Amino acid sequence: MMGAGVGRTEARISADRVGKWFGEVIAVNNCTLSVGTGVVGLLGANGAGKSTLFKMLAGLIEPSHGTVRVFGSKLREDVGWFRRVGFCPESDALPDWMTGREFLSLMLRLMGYDKTEVKRRTDHWLDRFDLTDAAGRRLGGYSKGMRQKIKLAQALAHDPDVIFLDEPLNGMDPVSRKQSIDLVRELGEAGRTILVSSHILPEVESMTHQIILIDRGKVLAEGSVAEIRDKIPEHPTTVALVSADCRGLAGFLIGREHVVGVEVENMPDGDRVIVRTDHALGFYRALPGWILENNLTVDEILTLDDSLEAVFQYLTER
Amino acid sequence: MNQTKAINPSSVSAGQPAAQPSVGAILWIAWFSVREMARRKRLISLALINLLPVLVVGAIRIWFPGEGITAQMQLASLTYDTFIPFLIPIAAMAVGIPAIGEQVEDGTIVFMWTRPIKRRAIYLGRLFAAQIVSTVLMSGSLVLCFMIMVSEGTSIITFDFLKLYLVTFMIIGLGAFTYSALFAAMGTFFKKPVLPAILLAFGWENLVTNIPARVQELSLRFHLQNLIDRPPAAPNDLPGILGALLSTAFNREPVPKIQSVVVLLAVMLIATVVGIWLLRHKEIEK
Repeated sequence: MMGAGVGRTEARISADRVGKWFGEVIAVNNCTLSVGTGVVGLLGANGAGKSTLFKMLAGLIEPSHGTVRVFGSKLREDVGWFRRVGFCPESDALPDWMTGREFLSLMLRLMGYDKTEVKRRTDHWLDRFDLTDAAGRRLGGYSKGMRQKIKLAQALAHDPDVIFLDEPLNGMDPVSRKQSIDLVRELGEAGRTILVSSHILPEVESMTHQIILIDRGKVLAEGSVAEIRDKIPEHPTTVALVSADCRGLAGFLIGREHVVGVEVENMPDGDRVIVRTDHALGFYRALPGWILENNLTVDEILTLDDSLEAVFQYLTER
Repeated sequence: MNQTKAINPSSVSAGQPAAQPSVGAILWIAWFSVREMARRKRLISLALINLLPVLVVGAIRIWFPGEGITAQMQLASLTYDTFIPFLIPIAAMAVGIPAIGEQVEDGTIVFMWTRPIKRRAIYLGRLFAAQIVSTVLMSGSLVLCFMIMVSEGTSIITFDFLKLYLVTFMIIGLGAFTYSALFAAMGTFFKKPVLPAILLAFGWENLVTNIPARVQELSLRFHLQNLIDRPPAAPNDLPGILGALLSTAFNREPVPKIQSVVVLLAVMLIATVVGIWLLRHKEIEK
């Protein structure tokens, strides 16, 4: 397993050798991780064990072995911590007989707020998610996107410090999706811990570069996408350098530190140098110095395969 | 990569946020749960079933006025033969089984589980709502029966009748509360609780109630029926003859009423404790 943890500060969520099995099926196996502040994506294909791990972290299911702590406590036992925790489930189940306003008000009531505060927060969050006009309608009549928004609203309305969002953008229209992504990023920058579970990579990539990758019940990697990418030796990172003197640049780069392969590629709009590096961060740090000291020309730098999708693909194919 | 450091649990325990006070949470959950249960379609069928005693009393009032079937006899017989063996279990089953189990099954309980509320408060709130709804359903039926009975004339409103009427309310309430607690626990335990509940209410209870000697005491029905003072029927009328026959055939030996009350309360308490324990160990599947 890679890395000690993700996030910017001390761990608010931690799991120590956590496992969960259902009968003979091992859903999560010996996972250790810690999450500090900021937005962190929990990524995995369907059936990877992502939901099980997510529910264990949120205190909804008990690990078969190991311990999960949020703020150093077990949520299932010290339920008072839920005052500082928000949870948006993946499931579409809502109490359909309630109106949006009733639902949000009840959720806030159960957080312990008085009538005035409940109303203030309900109005604010209904407005924030453009649900004010639909507030008096039954949840049963809400569209999929509206249901998703009211679930998000109940998870955020009490200003929690730790927020679990399980597939939060499911069914949302593009505008709501963009607004929700911005909101999540804003909350992350404000010092909240947000763990977002998703199997849609671009969705997570738009919110954060801090990720935890899970596959077949195991945490494969955790950290920033670039850091994780660097730790996949079978697939050196591919960088394209656009230059007026591709041959000179390629010749210089051959045998340099962190460079494992160089070739010149002919493109319709001009040549470019393709560099394969086993340590992209080190290469990026060294490159400006090489350019200045050796009068090289580089017009553009493109990273071809350090996207989340590429990282995910490389890690899961191992 | 930013380094992380674990929070020392002991350092945060001093400022640990407290769970919501249980009584307040129970009442809020109960209030919303009553409203939820009251909107269920199955409640309409349940209300219609509960009109059965009203129809019987109405029929007696219309077709057999002044024929020796007193209001007290009607009330006692209805409670003994209709409310206790049928209506109470049916109503308790209809609202008790889904009270907690359905929310766990459909996943909506997750919204309660992620509040600072102890699971026992969630359980008690939902159970209390089911108990209130089932009691109110039958009380409505009883009130309608009373209105039809007194339409005969205010002379029937004697001290004994009022006493029996109030006792009937209490027996129905006690029965509804006990059966609801039992069915709620079954609904929390079983994935498909309807069949076991039917087997309990109409299999076990029927069987055991009609087995002679002390075996009868193993049913809730026996203890509820034991709380009713049936006025002595004239030996030559039909209820009197049937009662005498049943008494002889099945040898229903009464036990002290306080014993029956204690048994019912104990069953209610045990079922509730078991239900709370089950919910505490329940895990969300959706």
